[in-house]
Amino acid sequence: MKSRKFAKIRSAAIRYLLLTAGTVIFALPMVYMISTSLRPNGALYEWPPRFFPKPGAITFENFEYILDQKKFLINFLNSVFVSVCTVGLAAFVSSALAFVIGRFRSRATKLLFAFIIITMIIPGTTMIIPQFTLAKRFGLIDKIWGLIPFYVAWVIPFSTFMIKGFMENIPDEIVEAAWIDGASVFKVYTRVAMPLAAPAIASVSIFNFLTAWEEYPWAVTVLSKSEELRTLPIAIAGFNNQYGNVQWGYLFALSVLCMIPVVIIFILCQKFFIQGLTAGGVKG
Amino acid sequence: MITRSRMNRAQIIALLAPGLIVFGLFTVYPIIRLFMMSFCGIKLETMFVQPFCGLDNYVHVFSDPTFGTSFVNSIVYTAVTVPAQMALGLFIAILLNGIRRFSVTFRVINYLPVVTSWVIASLVFKYVFQTEGLLNYFLRTVIKVIPKNVKWLNERWGGMTVAMILGTWKGIGWNMVIFLAALQQVPKDLYEAADIDGCGAWKKFTHVTLPAIRGTILFAMVELTIGGFNVFTSIQMITGGKPADQTQTLLTWMYKNAFSLDHDIGYAAALSFVMAFTLGLLAVVQFRMMRSRDV
Repeated sequence: MKSRKFAKIRSAAIRYLLLTAGTVIFALPMVYMISTSLRPNGALYEWPPRFFPKPGAITFENFEYILDQKKFLINFLNSVFVSVCTVGLAAFVSSALAFVIGRFRSRATKLLFAFIIITMIIPGTTMIIPQFTLAKRFGLIDKIWGLIPFYVAWVIPFSTFMIKGFMENIPDEIVEAAWIDGASVFKVYTRVAMPLAAPAIASVSIFNFLTAWEEYPWAVTVLSKSEELRTLPIAIAGFNNQYGNVQWGYLFALSVLCMIPVVIIFILCQKFFIQGLTAGGVKG
Repeated sequence: MITRSRMNRAQIIALLAPGLIVFGLFTVYPIIRLFMMSFCGIKLETMFVQPFCGLDNYVHVFSDPTFGTSFVNSIVYTAVTVPAQMALGLFIAILLNGIRRFSVTFRVINYLPVVTSWVIASLVFKYVFQTEGLLNYFLRTVIKVIPKNVKWLNERWGGMTVAMILGTWKGIGWNMVIFLAALQQVPKDLYEAADIDGCGAWKKFTHVTLPAIRGTILFAMVELTIGGFNVFTSIQMITGGKPADQTQTLLTWMYKNAFSLDHDIGYAAALSFVMAFTLGLLAVVQFRMMRSRDV
């Protein structure tokens, strides 16, 4: 009996040890990013490199530089605008799709769903060329809002897939009761289905926010004109000059500022997040 | 389902319409266009003139040596990062599954790389792996395992290694969450039965855990393979395809052809389609492989 207890404690100790070691190694790059953003910009090419800034040499000058420039504020607001609009529109259109597909089973809706899912196999970036010619024809190039329809279209398959599961699980009696009361399709959707699927819509929205917030390849392809017509990822990548000296201090200061909303949302909504993730993966 | 009146039908269509219009116009239509473009000789400037040129673009793709390089790079990237992140993610999930306290803390920290943007994460790794950077300093001066600084970023496999380490680092958290959820659904009595049969930890893992989470493994494998071929931003940020296009992957090479070399959209479209086709094929093979083990 005693040896069994000992074995249990030992196994737990090993688990905690491995997890702590792994987690520390995992966190190193992010810690290094923050520590670099707190060093004077000129000290970044010093040898030997330091992991932590010299005590007493911690400075916020990189952040002051970034916050002083109006263009970065505009870039930030651009990102907020695009992400919020994407999230809102995607929540509306995909929950409507999911409602119809999940509650009105027929051959047509099944086929439609299969078709939407199959497109997920094609990596988004492969479509960048026809999307570019389309954007050009519609005059969506060099316009911040021009990103939104592409982002919404991009997140529709995943969002619909996630919300559909919830729509299907709404108990039949509830929907039936609404039908018998003479409710229209719209009413059932807005009064019954939407509120009941709210948790799924919330978790999908977090994913969609992150997708739009960090999207780079498409944004940099269609927004090239001026520095004020940029989203945050483009502004950050803009420091990554292939030839000259990269201003690492500024770069990481802006990166830290860009990460703050993400980390806040992630930590606050951790539960929704995990729920959303696992709903897709475990079913199979 | 009860009333199929005309009004309800109209409302159903009204609900479907916005989503289908956006999806059709901005996703489905581009896919069809992509396919059509791959049979045309189009340059970016002459976008609307599309003389049909048959399989020329495809012939061009398969005879282009840089396509070969980027294809191999993409395959290697996927073949390394997919198993690596799955194995490490599953390992962490198994560790987490056996503890009570701090489980959420570990989970949150390990998941942070996933929510970090590709642009930021790539640039952090680029900074760490510079020739005069922190990692070389650590390897050369602190633990003394290399005689001189490695030029990670100026060499094909050096650059690919950095991208692969980044890809693995960034993906482990997702696998951890997916596998943790799967592990929590494995019936406890299976383990008890294995205990009674006198199975050791490894046997329990191979005979109970792995078969029980097979569906999740397949799901992760298919998703991650698509993700592996989708590698783009990290390569652009870390090496930009240098030196001499040695570190191009399928998508970065496609992008370069379409937007900066000679704007050969037809070629780039054919390349995209070859890639989409490869992925479709891989997905089918992966499904077959997992299915066949059922029997």
